[in-house]
Amino acid sequence: MTKIWKNIAFGAAMSAAVAIAGAAPVLAQETIKVGVLHSLSGTMAISETTLKDVMLMLIEEQNKKGGLLGKKLEAVVVDPASNWPLFAEKARELISVQKVAATFGCWTSVSRKSVLPVFEELNSILFYPVQYEGEESSKNIFYTGAAPNQQAIPAVDYLMKDEKVQRWVLAGTDYVYPRTTNKILEAYLQQKGVKAEDIMINYTPFGHSDWQTIVANIKKFGSAGKKTAVVSTINGDANVPFYKELANQGVKAKDIPVVAFSVGEEELAGIDTAPLVGHLAAWNYFQSVKNADNDAFIAKWKAFTKNPKRVTNDPMEAHVIGFNMWVKAVEKAGTTDPKAVIDSIIGISVPNLSGGYSTMMPNHHITKPVLIGEVKADGQFETVWQTSGLVVGDEWSDYLEGSKDLIADWRAPMTCGNFNVKSGKCGGAGK
Amino acid sequence: MGLWRALLLALCLLGIGSVARAQSIEPALPLLASSSYSDIEKGIETLAASGHAHALTILQALADSKLFVGADKAVIQSADGKFTDAKSGQAAVNAQGLTAPRVNNRIRRAIDAAMGTLTIKSPDPAKRLEAAASVFKTRDLAARPLIETALAKETDSRVRRAFEQARAALILADKASDADKLAAIAILADRGDQDARAILAAVNDASPAVTAAAKSAVERIDSTLAIWNAVQSVYYGISLGSVLLLAAIGLAITFGVMGVINMAHGEMVMLGAYTTFAVQEIIRTSMPSLFDWSLAIALPLAFLVSGGVGMAIERGIIRFLYGRPLETLLATFGLSLILQQAVRTIFGANNREVGNPSWMSGAFELGGLTLTYNRMWIIVFSIVVLAALMVLLRRTAFGLQMRAVTQNRRMAASMGIRTSWVDCLTFGLGSGIAGIAGVALSQIDNVSPNLGQGYIIDSFMVVVFGGVGNLWGTLVGALSLGIANKLLEPMAGAVLGKIIVLVLIVLFIQRKPRGLFPLKGRAAEA
Amino acid sequence: MIFARFIANDRLLIGFIAVLFGITTLLIVGNLAFAPGSALHVPTYVIALYGKYLCYALLALSVDLVWGQVGILSLGHGAFFALGGYAMGMYLMRQIGPRGVYAHPVLPDFMVFLNYKELPWFWHGMDMFWFAMIMVMLVPGLLAFVFGWLTFRSRVTGVYLSIITQALTFAMLLAFFRNDMGFGGNNGMTDFKDILGFNVQADGTRAGLLAASAIFLALGFFAARVLQRSRFGKVLVAIRDAESRTRFLGYRVEHYKLAVFTFSAVMAGIAGALYVPQVGIINPGEFAPANSIEAVIWVAVGGRGTLVGAVIGAILVNFGKTLFTGVLPELWLFALGGLFVFVTLFMPKGVVGSLPVWSSWLKRRLLPSKVDVPPPVTVQAGE
Repeated sequence: MTKIWKNIAFGAAMSAAVAIAGAAPVLAQETIKVGVLHSLSGTMAISETTLKDVMLMLIEEQNKKGGLLGKKLEAVVVDPASNWPLFAEKARELISVQKVAATFGCWTSVSRKSVLPVFEELNSILFYPVQYEGEESSKNIFYTGAAPNQQAIPAVDYLMKDEKVQRWVLAGTDYVYPRTTNKILEAYLQQKGVKAEDIMINYTPFGHSDWQTIVANIKKFGSAGKKTAVVSTINGDANVPFYKELANQGVKAKDIPVVAFSVGEEELAGIDTAPLVGHLAAWNYFQSVKNADNDAFIAKWKAFTKNPKRVTNDPMEAHVIGFNMWVKAVEKAGTTDPKAVIDSIIGISVPNLSGGYSTMMPNHHITKPVLIGEVKADGQFETVWQTSGLVVGDEWSDYLEGSKDLIADWRAPMTCGNFNVKSGKCGGAGK
Repeated sequence: MGLWRALLLALCLLGIGSVARAQSIEPALPLLASSSYSDIEKGIETLAASGHAHALTILQALADSKLFVGADKAVIQSADGKFTDAKSGQAAVNAQGLTAPRVNNRIRRAIDAAMGTLTIKSPDPAKRLEAAASVFKTRDLAARPLIETALAKETDSRVRRAFEQARAALILADKASDADKLAAIAILADRGDQDARAILAAVNDASPAVTAAAKSAVERIDSTLAIWNAVQSVYYGISLGSVLLLAAIGLAITFGVMGVINMAHGEMVMLGAYTTFAVQEIIRTSMPSLFDWSLAIALPLAFLVSGGVGMAIERGIIRFLYGRPLETLLATFGLSLILQQAVRTIFGANNREVGNPSWMSGAFELGGLTLTYNRMWIIVFSIVVLAALMVLLRRTAFGLQMRAVTQNRRMAASMGIRTSWVDCLTFGLGSGIAGIAGVALSQIDNVSPNLGQGYIIDSFMVVVFGGVGNLWGTLVGALSLGIANKLLEPMAGAVLGKIIVLVLIVLFIQRKPRGLFPLKGRAAEA
Repeated sequence: MIFARFIANDRLLIGFIAVLFGITTLLIVGNLAFAPGSALHVPTYVIALYGKYLCYALLALSVDLVWGQVGILSLGHGAFFALGGYAMGMYLMRQIGPRGVYAHPVLPDFMVFLNYKELPWFWHGMDMFWFAMIMVMLVPGLLAFVFGWLTFRSRVTGVYLSIITQALTFAMLLAFFRNDMGFGGNNGMTDFKDILGFNVQADGTRAGLLAASAIFLALGFFAARVLQRSRFGKVLVAIRDAESRTRFLGYRVEHYKLAVFTFSAVMAGIAGALYVPQVGIINPGEFAPANSIEAVIWVAVGGRGTLVGAVIGAILVNFGKTLFTGVLPELWLFALGGLFVFVTLFMPKGVVGSLPVWSSWLKRRLLPSKVDVPPPVTVQAGE
């Protein structure tokens, strides 16, 4: 055999392998497949691995209850490895090869943006469980995390009213979520009469670990005689060194409180919390919320992970809500066909774990209570304030120039993700 | 609110003045047990005003979350877990049926304010100092008579100065004669820090003389602060440089001396950090009293763990690849993936909690500088490590053999040096030092499987910039990169500053392809 | 060597192009001509995947050109790939036109919500395909030229070069993450609609893109072969094996290096440009140093300096990645990392380079004489 023929044989074998990988798993259809698209390696594994475990637990539990439509559920777990093009590839694999009925996944905005065209093209369903910057509403994505008005704005309101804050540091990691959130907050604060010189905006790269200069600047900014607070959209890994530096330089919560939107129980489990006591976080759920549903969930989670120290957090709750909504919508539609489920899920209400009901709204966002909590020494939150009712997720912010005229409503006849109320037209992407 | 507080302070004064007054904490208890923060705040004020002999103890317990209250009873838990009745000071059985009052920032501030006024007359000078600082911060006008009386009696010069500054702050916020105000401005100008500047900058008096004095005081403070700021930036640079030095110093051995491009170097650092975590975890569960020693215990262990893994890597992989530095790069990159995933599988993907021992927490003031203990100890530590390494290389037999092998392997072998052992030990040494760097970095950064990734590129930059094979070069390289970064940061921002530094390094390498301190001689030629 | 026989009348080139086009045609026909459900139907998923592999293969080829032929180990080729991708991404963004979510006639969505009032200067002209394609080649080429001109002239070689190329791509990574740069920050560019008027999601367009990737890979391979077999190529090998000696013989070593480096960067840029419409996103993550290192590893796995090895290595490793991230989501990094270690230790010439070794090993199998691994030679050698 000459080298060429070897090459050809090899190439043929390769493509056959690709084709088999593509075709093989389509055989059995007695289960309903549910895709789990969370990074298990790379930089985002730190946050996303937990969500994969939650999904496995929810699916196992549903199967114990007898499955769905008389069939068992089957989790299909893949690892997009914190690599954004790989997210798109894996999404396509889940939908067109594994034929999943719905997918639960993504954490970062960029991963969602990467898979969005895939879900729209193949008309499948994604449940996205993380707080995000808004400015999006896709027919195929259900946003069960908080939009900025369900987290950032109530937090600022609280600080303004209860802590009498007059001077603001908006500190964030340089990516879209902090940029957009800070833009919204800046517009909101100025509307409330805060002067431009009383707002300091600061961006740092991912994984920033040397906070000496910035914390010194915050201290300086905070010593101007007016009550100052830091609104932190600092992401993931950069938080630990940030809080350590704050504590060491003597910035105390009672003087300059920091309110964070990305720091939850899970993150606190990796920090020595003693110096953080009193700093704030705004979420839609805290593990410390007392009610029967939440207690049961926490107990099940600890049993499932076989670790009595495991904590629960807000994105986990979002997956619980999203999964239960999907189950109900499938039961209502009598099929897992995404087209039917997309229609039937709107208006579905399920209990959330904060002691109320969350409803899927026509803009594919859900209603949630907003809770402000202070960090306690044991790494849990003490709820210090709570919205009186539920807040509807606002996908298009009212405080941004480009989006204040847009609304989303996926019910017929509008069926549009970005309807411009001024021009009366459905703009670009949303069909 | 203001009225309420003034009234309370008046009560408080009376209460302290004459012990025979009301002195009951009963009215405060239901308030403290309430779920409303405003009620709790009122409860604290009532308690402070009660003049009860144990009021301060109760407040302190509340601040430490050691207080449990019910409608008519309060119990304090002491450090050893025993309960005492707050009112009588007698032992109580337990805290059953009682709840811990809810505490948030507002309550903490109320406790501070109450304690501030209660401790102005404390016999302990440190407490009085705190009280003065608290009044300085809150600028509670009602506290002025209290300060005046305290000042008249004060003998300790430091406390006296603090009281004077507190009084000055109050005077400027109050109605007072021009002379008093000018004197107050002088006192604050003398204090000369950011807080004093804030108060002075807010002065806008009817009298032009006072306003002008405040303005010039602000200018004076500004000019001194500017100098301190520059010093601060340099210090921060040195601090960042010491972190880079620690991360790079092991690489200076494996890459600089041996020529092995070890992409798993960051993972050696990570292993050191996880060793610290493991040590602390054991200490936490079995012997909490040793916690302050955890780092000292972790250091040798981290050195052994990372050094051992390093030696295993050298024996198992790298020794087959000598002379092919680019292949070692690829193999060790694969290894770094494996090590990361292994740690992720064993310890989980989340951050692990590594605490700062008490001597690594907090900060102290030096002139206009705030020096944090953890950063300062890391600077000291990095210098110690560097010095120890220098001694090892220059003053020991092993160091001599190591240098011999690097300079001329065949000759060294002919002299009877077991070169392959020296290689193995050298690589183990470099890895072990990366491990102890991990112990230090666990104090300022996340302990996660990705820890090493954040330092690997910077470490290579430091070594290449300083000159491969030269520890002095590594020191100078680390410090100059750190300082350049920190000087650029205020001007260009953290991201742009870093980009500029990287581009400068790339350009610098064009000028001096062998770094700041190139090795001379034939061995260095390509 | 066995390899020499191939170069004799370049059956390698013919064979490579035949296999490449054969598979590509089969896949495209299978995708377009047979309806879903038919046994011969090739799902679109496979088309997209294969297209992506071919782009990676072109990138690997460009790395092999500089590393395998001239001995420049670039750990920053991902930067050129990403720049090409960004140029294409900008074109695709401009093609969205008023169909963005904010329905702004000119500005892409991310600019609208970051309050840009007008298009940054470097976005002008990117709506024209020909201009964007020039940029795809010009920008990476120019960067490589300037960088190479500075670097090779001052004789930065070996590991120093590797590390500063890594610094280069790392600096680019940080720069492109900045939202102020006007490239969409961390989110990058996504949700593309059309390319040259064709819907990027249509099966026909995907097939076309796959065909284009195959054609450019064939062209790249052809160019590399021609280069390799020419007199020019012989000088390159001389530089790789004994740089100083070649210089003393009167060759302007840095000119040769610069020419190949720049050409290779253009090739990487084209690979990036083909990659973006097929995966649907370009983001600063492509600049990550780990990506560049991975590209080098593909080449090492396939066989450094063999060209065909680069292509096979890229496809093999990425196929493994696709397979294992699905089948062994929690263990695949062990497999991948283990593969890298295994290849460098036991197959220093890669899959392709080891084929003759294996066959002769099979023949000599019965002989019991075990050859020990040679002891370490001088550390400084080889560079």
